[in-house]
Amino acid sequence: MASITTRSLIKEYPGGVRGVDEMDVTIHDGEFFALLGPSGCGKTTLLRTIAGLEKSTSGSIKIGDREVTNMEPGQRRVAMVFQDYALFPHMSIADNIAYPLKIQKVAKTERHSRAEEVGDKLSLQGLLERRPGQLSGGQQQRVALARAVTSRPDVFLFDEPLSNLDARLRLEARTFLKKLQLDLGVTTVFVTHDQAEALALADRIAIMRSGKMQQLGTPREVFQRPANTFVASFVGSTSMNLLKGIVSDHTVMIGRQRVPLPTDAVGRVGDGQEVTWGARPEYLGVSLGAAPGSLEGTVTVSENLGASALITVELAESGEPVQVVVSEDHEPRIGTRLWVTFEPRRTLLFDAEGLRIGD
Amino acid sequence: MTAVTGSKRTAQGESRQMLGHFLGLMGKSVFTALVLAFFVIPVLWLVFAPFDAHPGLNVKLPEFTFNNFKILFENPTAIASLGNSLILALGSMVVVLVLGSLASYSLSRVKIPGRDLLLYTLLLLSSIITGTAAMVPTFLLMVKLGLIDSQFGVILVLSGGILPTVIFILKDFMDSTPKSYEESARLYGAKPLRILWDVVIPLARPGLATIAVWAVVQVWGNFLVPYILLRSPSKSPASVVMYTFYTEGGQPNLALISAFSLLFSIPVVAMYFVVNRRYGFRFHGGIKS
Repeated sequence: MASITTRSLIKEYPGGVRGVDEMDVTIHDGEFFALLGPSGCGKTTLLRTIAGLEKSTSGSIKIGDREVTNMEPGQRRVAMVFQDYALFPHMSIADNIAYPLKIQKVAKTERHSRAEEVGDKLSLQGLLERRPGQLSGGQQQRVALARAVTSRPDVFLFDEPLSNLDARLRLEARTFLKKLQLDLGVTTVFVTHDQAEALALADRIAIMRSGKMQQLGTPREVFQRPANTFVASFVGSTSMNLLKGIVSDHTVMIGRQRVPLPTDAVGRVGDGQEVTWGARPEYLGVSLGAAPGSLEGTVTVSENLGASALITVELAESGEPVQVVVSEDHEPRIGTRLWVTFEPRRTLLFDAEGLRIGD
Repeated sequence: MTAVTGSKRTAQGESRQMLGHFLGLMGKSVFTALVLAFFVIPVLWLVFAPFDAHPGLNVKLPEFTFNNFKILFENPTAIASLGNSLILALGSMVVVLVLGSLASYSLSRVKIPGRDLLLYTLLLLSSIITGTAAMVPTFLLMVKLGLIDSQFGVILVLSGGILPTVIFILKDFMDSTPKSYEESARLYGAKPLRILWDVVIPLARPGLATIAVWAVVQVWGNFLVPYILLRSPSKSPASVVMYTFYTEGGQPNLALISAFSLLFSIPVVAMYFVVNRRYGFRFHGGIKS
């Protein structure tokens, strides 16, 4: 068990493309840590660099108090679960689970008893004699986890652990993974492009884009107080409404409509400043009568989400779309004229560079 | 087929068409029979002649006898030569498998500039090494190395000729094993040779089996290299010894040659069936995961 610290870590590919660019992260001991970002953002490269499968160009990596930057992957005491699980198809499940012990030259009988022990913990009883090809996706994943557990690593690294499972199984596996990590208490870093997965599993999330860290925080922080417009639109199952506006007289002018300044931004902006006003669809409401400080518009699209509906409101005059999540009881008809309401403390303001205004 | 309209002319046209169809069928059958005969007659000779009291060069039902085999088994060099063939074939197979898997694995995993060019050049040159053109330099080289009349020398030359093709084919198998298997093993502390042995070789087994059979067949049937590089008859393989079966009159001793040919071909055919049943011949790699 150990923390992971990277200092100015850079991984540059031939041709000058940086997979990881000046990364400074401290992952605490026992933490469940997510690397989140769109594909090609360098999250997997960072994970592989921590594992030692990629050689860093400069900077340093420490696991606990061991400097591992130039260590072979096998000496770093990390275990990785690959996206395709990388189970050896010619070995039985027991041999797969016990493979790390085989490398450590543990005797065969002990290997098998350890494999059985770990297999029990991961509910793989009765499957130990089979081959990986005979197992379902969820079972294969548990075998890959079991193999990682057997090696008793300081750190677990998961590369898109849930992406090969179908939707229903994924939820099940997610809960299983969270419980396992809690039980074992091993520092775990996982890579995902699915923001819901990151929000659900992680203690803290690092959001990356083109090799650079965008924000590091708890799921609540990145959801409610995204550092910039990129994080704001990437995190959340519906992306945040972002509308261009201009500050005037302690309000934000969006087209010709006025909304009050978001609470965080009060006293931090001046008249005439160009800003982006942001609000999550979940935090917006609708009203059929005119309300002060709300946005007037017409419903154009309504998408059913089960217990709620996502409606798209075209703002009066500017015609810009704003999305609102409404409960199933209050779903308005298409074409209804209404006002989008909100609490100013739930709205955010971003400056011209896209950075959030406020602390 | 044509639509039946009932008029006389169509009936006539139909019968003409039938005739054409029939002739076409005849032609095709005759052609197929000729091609078939071309390949089957030598095999029939190989099966019948050894059991014929007076074998000739034509195929005929034998006057059945085991006498040819009796003479053959009384010939000391004949049976020993089959052992020599086995030594050469298995020796080359081992050299080719060991060096071939090491080389193809490294070529598959380590990026060196001009790798493909190297592979293709080797492939091109390999046919020359064991071919007639390079026999004089090869002979001189073996003289300098003191490997004339040594079975080890023959194994080296034959393996050298086979290896480029082997590397070429095996590299394809190695390329198709997912990298994550090796990376996973590496993370648990496995060294490259260990990974090769534990993970890559088992996955490339069908490829290795194919290569092994192919190498044995190549060496088993090779005449030129052992003929030139070996001196003592006691070391000669079957393919060379067969060449010495003449009667006192200078005529080829067909009784001996036919019986020996049959014995000579049995191991290769048997091996084909064994390996085919065990692994199946596949020239493509890839694993279902």
